[in-house]
Amino acid sequence: MEELKQMLFRLCEADGVSGDESDAAAAAAKEFPPSAEPETDRLGNLTASVGPKNAKTVLLDAHLDQIGLIVTGIDKNGFLHVDKCGGMDRRVMPGAAVVVLGRERVDGVIGSVPPHLAGADAEKVPEPDRMTVDIGCSRKEAEGLVRPGDRIVFRAQPRALLGTRVTAPGLDDRASVAALIRCAQLLAEKPPRCRVLFQFSTREEVGGQGAVTGSYRADPAQGIAVDVSFARQPGVEPEKCGELGGGPMVGFAPILDRALGERLVRLAEKNGIPYSREVMGGETGTNGDAIAVTRSGVPTATVSIPLRYMHTPAEVVDLRDIENTAKLLAAYLLEAE
Amino acid sequence: MMANWELLKRLCAARGVSGREDEVRELILKEIGPYAEKTEVTPLGNVIAFKSGEKRAGTKLMLAAHMDEVGLAVTRVTDEGLLKFSCVGGIDPNVLPGRQVLVGKRAVPGVAGVKPIHMLKKDEMEKRVPAEELYLDIGALTKEEAEAAVSPGDEATFVSRFCAQNGVLSAKALDDRAGCALLIGLMKKRLKYDAVFAFTVQEEVGSAGARTAAFAVEPDAAVVVEATTAADVPGTDRNRQVCRLGDGPAVSFMDRRTVYDAEYYELALRTAEREGIRCQPKQAVTGANDASVIHISRAGVRTVAVSLPCRYLHAPAGVVSQEDFRAAGELLALLAEKIAGKAQRC
Repeated sequence: MEELKQMLFRLCEADGVSGDESDAAAAAAKEFPPSAEPETDRLGNLTASVGPKNAKTVLLDAHLDQIGLIVTGIDKNGFLHVDKCGGMDRRVMPGAAVVVLGRERVDGVIGSVPPHLAGADAEKVPEPDRMTVDIGCSRKEAEGLVRPGDRIVFRAQPRALLGTRVTAPGLDDRASVAALIRCAQLLAEKPPRCRVLFQFSTREEVGGQGAVTGSYRADPAQGIAVDVSFARQPGVEPEKCGELGGGPMVGFAPILDRALGERLVRLAEKNGIPYSREVMGGETGTNGDAIAVTRSGVPTATVSIPLRYMHTPAEVVDLRDIENTAKLLAAYLLEAE
Repeated sequence: MMANWELLKRLCAARGVSGREDEVRELILKEIGPYAEKTEVTPLGNVIAFKSGEKRAGTKLMLAAHMDEVGLAVTRVTDEGLLKFSCVGGIDPNVLPGRQVLVGKRAVPGVAGVKPIHMLKKDEMEKRVPAEELYLDIGALTKEEAEAAVSPGDEATFVSRFCAQNGVLSAKALDDRAGCALLIGLMKKRLKYDAVFAFTVQEEVGSAGARTAAFAVEPDAAVVVEATTAADVPGTDRNRQVCRLGDGPAVSFMDRRTVYDAEYYELALRTAEREGIRCQPKQAVTGANDASVIHISRAGVRTVAVSLPCRYLHAPAGVVSQEDFRAAGELLALLAEKIAGKAQRC
């Protein structure tokens, strides 16, 4: 578990806000041996593969990108105007320490108006594009360091919590990236008969464009989108959630292939892997939705890692769920023809 | 000039929520040991250090900075193994969601979790998280697992990396470790007159430390060194900015609890002007600090406050100007000399 944790932390320490994932891609590529031929495509997706080249392709997808902020301008006093890049929760922004990925890494703080000065708006949190990032510079200095379009991430290190739980910004979806890498490690011991294409796709948080073009290129016979989903926590409906430590959540939804889902469930039971069924009435909100409608259609499943506090810098997962996700995927791939 | 950010970095990293200042106190005692004739720790935990100058002081001067920082206190472990808490000191709960913390003496890492944005109703998305919904998650899956690691009463501090870049410093607890660092800096210099240095406890919860320190020291005059709100940020009009980063230390004529000694207020501004040190009057009657109890100690203590302008004061990462810090150090040295050198009129 320690090795898995270290690998996950290496992945989380790389920056990769939507549309600017090259650092995250490089960090993931390093975890593969050259024989897996890691390469990057036009939209920045990273792919790597194992198994015979002429066999049918099973696509495993996890997205590389994380939510963040994007610089939109610099005001007359050097404060940065920003907007969200992905589904940023504005309530976690005031007062947060951040890093601006400018010409160099620049430390900053998201401004917060002290309550005694906020007046009538004290109960409201301003929209992200009404907040500013303070890098302590004059406008001229700031213009030398930062340009509109630069991304911003939270300044928080990955940390081990009690037991096998960990916290880090960007566990959505680096936890799944780690699960896929772990799966590749398991398959190295016992090669599959199918060709497994690992796809680390870009821009999931802003529409999933990476998965759209990557899946076209991959032309797979089957697809599994691996992402994070909601773990039980206060204030959310338990029936919509998995549980930390409860194992991978196997998706069932109209867009997904039911037989594929049932097969994953059967394999989990056969191999003693804890799991839960995640039932969604419409789309899945993952790259699975795009993979399923690639070219003339791809039977697709989703496997999700339970995660608390999604889209905040305080995301929490259980390492055991990552390991069990990797095991379940490996078990499936070893059975696939 | 290269200031010693290494010391300030260690001071800010030390954990010391009001009433739990031990780590800060140990660090300060070690740091000032070689420079003080005598140090003592009062029953409530203040550090009082005596340093001789070349001459005896005409006015017995106490310089004070507080060791404690705002933070949280665990109040209850829930059935799910989560921690409910109270704020210790004036934290704006708006800055808590999504932050990392360290809990208790063993510094158990945790996070302040909130409902995921995907499961919020539209009005919830726009509003600050209600205080009663906040809790800390240390990764425990059961009540028993949490209780083995933490207990009610344990303090929690913010986690934030110390940054010194682009002429500013950002860190947690700059209020008032910056003041502690300024006092230590002064103690390391040769002083013309004797002075007493007080590193106080519990400023953020009502200044019980300073109240008792002032009684123990029995000074004629006091300089309170702290960090104060700089609201020179977008969206705050010029009249409500209190003070501005880069304009030098702020000197107060009045805040919510204290009307400062008029002569010393003038003296501070005049001294800065004469010596070419940037300095600004604090342009609002807001906030309060250890001066509130020091100036009414025993038969009264003539008091002045020199404050370092700090943006996002009670948040996980404050921001101060490196230039202001240096200017505050220079002004303090001169002000101490002028106050201590003059005989008291009564």
